[in-house]
Amino acid sequence: MSTAVEALGLVKCFGAIRAVDGVDLTVRPAEIRGLLGPNGAGKTTLLRLLFGLIRPERGSVSLLGRQQDGTDGRLDGVAGFVEDARFYPYLSARHNLELLARLDGLGARGRVGELLELVGLAKDGGRKVGTFSTGMRQRLGLAAALLRAPRLLLLDEPTAGLDPEGTREMRRLLRELAASGVTVLFSSHDMAEVEHVCETVTIMRAGQIVWDGPLTALRAEAPVPEHRIVTSDDVRAAELARTLPGLRLEADPERGLRVSADAERLDAFVIALGRAGVAVRELELAESPLETMFFRLTSQ
Amino acid sequence: MTSSSVSFDTFVEVEVKPPGAAQVVRVELSKLAGQLPTRVVAAVVVLAPFAVAGVLKAQGAVPADTLFGRWVHTSGFALPLVVLGFAGSWGFPVLAGLVAGDVFAGEDRHDTWKLLLTRSCSRGEIFVGKTLAAATCAVLMVCALALSSLAAGALVIGTQPLVGLSGTLLPPGHSLALVLLGWSIALLPTLGFVSLALLISVATRSSVMGVLGPVIVGAAMQLLSLVGKGEIVRTLLLSSGFDAWHGLFTANPYYGPVGRSAAVSVGYIVVSLAVAWIVVRRRDFAGSDAGWRSGWVVPARALAVAGAAVALLAVASSWGPKSVTAGRLEASISTTFSNLAVYQQKLLGRRVPAGAGLDVLPTCKRRGVSTPYSGQGDDWHCTLDVVGRQARQMPIGFDVNVRANGCYTAEGPPSVIGPATIRTRGRGVVPNPLFVFDGCFDTS
Repeated sequence: MSTAVEALGLVKCFGAIRAVDGVDLTVRPAEIRGLLGPNGAGKTTLLRLLFGLIRPERGSVSLLGRQQDGTDGRLDGVAGFVEDARFYPYLSARHNLELLARLDGLGARGRVGELLELVGLAKDGGRKVGTFSTGMRQRLGLAAALLRAPRLLLLDEPTAGLDPEGTREMRRLLRELAASGVTVLFSSHDMAEVEHVCETVTIMRAGQIVWDGPLTALRAEAPVPEHRIVTSDDVRAAELARTLPGLRLEADPERGLRVSADAERLDAFVIALGRAGVAVRELELAESPLETMFFRLTSQ
Repeated sequence: MTSSSVSFDTFVEVEVKPPGAAQVVRVELSKLAGQLPTRVVAAVVVLAPFAVAGVLKAQGAVPADTLFGRWVHTSGFALPLVVLGFAGSWGFPVLAGLVAGDVFAGEDRHDTWKLLLTRSCSRGEIFVGKTLAAATCAVLMVCALALSSLAAGALVIGTQPLVGLSGTLLPPGHSLALVLLGWSIALLPTLGFVSLALLISVATRSSVMGVLGPVIVGAAMQLLSLVGKGEIVRTLLLSSGFDAWHGLFTANPYYGPVGRSAAVSVGYIVVSLAVAWIVVRRRDFAGSDAGWRSGWVVPARALAVAGAAVALLAVASSWGPKSVTAGRLEASISTTFSNLAVYQQKLLGRRVPAGAGLDVLPTCKRRGVSTPYSGQGDDWHCTLDVVGRQARQMPIGFDVNVRANGCYTAEGPPSVIGPATIRTRGRGVVPNPLFVFDGCFDTS
């Protein structure tokens, strides 16, 4: 098996809207891939196509080396969730997982307790899911996905609704899963999150893939970082900036100035400000290079 | 999360066997058992017959407008048949709706289709599993209702012989067998309504419509069976199958309705499930109802089609051979009257030779209608000329209400046949079997 996910020429329309428009996607085994895009870019629709929840107008999907036959085939070795994780609200978390374990084959039934512990819901296993918060349902969604010992995880915004600690744990979990040989494809609209977890990224806009490759390549193509700087004399600082090469400066619409420069030139600018008697009161990264790249790629 | 305590290697090495439809059935039955409506229905089918039996015993009244209703105090086997008759009118469609109407639409309500369809089962297995689970649950409910009705009748009233629909006395063992057979005949039409509930549930994606749909369809079929005189449409109505057991309780049992009911029910089941499967198979589970036309257009179209179908069937209801005719009624009512007259004499303690009966010459016709010798209605009048010794005839006039299913209620003149109740030897006061009596005949 050379690819975990292989989608070729996928097209899906809802009425006049082409939600997925000629998407080719390849994910290698044990890779952890971020699927990025703004709302409405087609990420969730693409995941639904991969799961076979919806049928493409054109194109084909192969998961774990097996061609998916329309919407009737079994998803052996594939797990995950799309949009938010949903369960039967009138049943407890444990009962939900036990039922899902049956639908996955008898071998998975014994791990329910272990998985509830894994996602931090051991104490809430007896509670009805109808009383769970969104974050708790997301955790349960991950447990439900892991129940069937997947070799490919397809997750739609898995950190949505999680608190900061839960988000950190989820990211760590995804990395550990990938390290253990599980292929992970997860969607997000947060570039920073993808940076934390992934080695490769696919960026979508208006149903099409506008970037696909390693993060290092994206960084290489990214523009210099942009910082926001607030000084004791912004007019003087602007004059000084014009004398330094490789530095672009413009007024920030909110406060201070925006400086685009690589690290060395930014250092030189800050030192020059100090020598000129201009105090630097604030200096922060306004937008990371990857975020800048993301916005450039996804802006209409 | 506490991932540090768990090795992921254990997760990727677990062997997962393909579960198949049998596991889906178990899961769906477990889900049904976890839902309040199912539990309420289960409680009702088990307890309601005992409550009905208790109330009837305490009040001394009888549900005289239901077949076998006037015998509920005389034989415990009448109660399950009264319950079966009532369930055939409303109970089974309601039960089908409550059990099956939410099986598919519930996944839409809870947005859990994506949960189900991302497991190890194919759509086909899920469809088969859900369908079998709904059918199993419905069959279990019907069986529970049958057994609790039997138990309630036997415990509260007793296991006395039952007066059949031709006026003959059926021994307890025979009555028990017929009651069980009668209830089993109702299973297929019930499964027909379950299939309709599943189809409506799948097509509308609405639990409310899934639950109410079979009840509405059942009511429409009841109305259609009341109009027209033809046999074709009445035979094709799923609800007619709930009357098919009547023929078992006559002196000369007729099984034609049982066979036709089975064939019609299987037709409804096959067509409903085939259409439902096509809808499920072709459906895009796009979430947030993407691509699903909501609003009033779809329901309005469905309503218009349903209305047109009902109107067409109402027009067609007069087609085909006449189901209720004077000849059929005369043949049935004379036999029933003769048998009940013998039974009445036995109740009064008079010796009746074995095989004795009355010679009855019946004449039946309707009053004040253009078709006096056919059609259901409460305007039938039968004159039974009882031929006595020396060929003397004693005419007795009965007002008869004949229903489209071939069952009738005859009410005689008290001056000739005596009061509503009679005092017997050893059994106290019992209903006069000739005062008002029921019977049935084959309409085909």
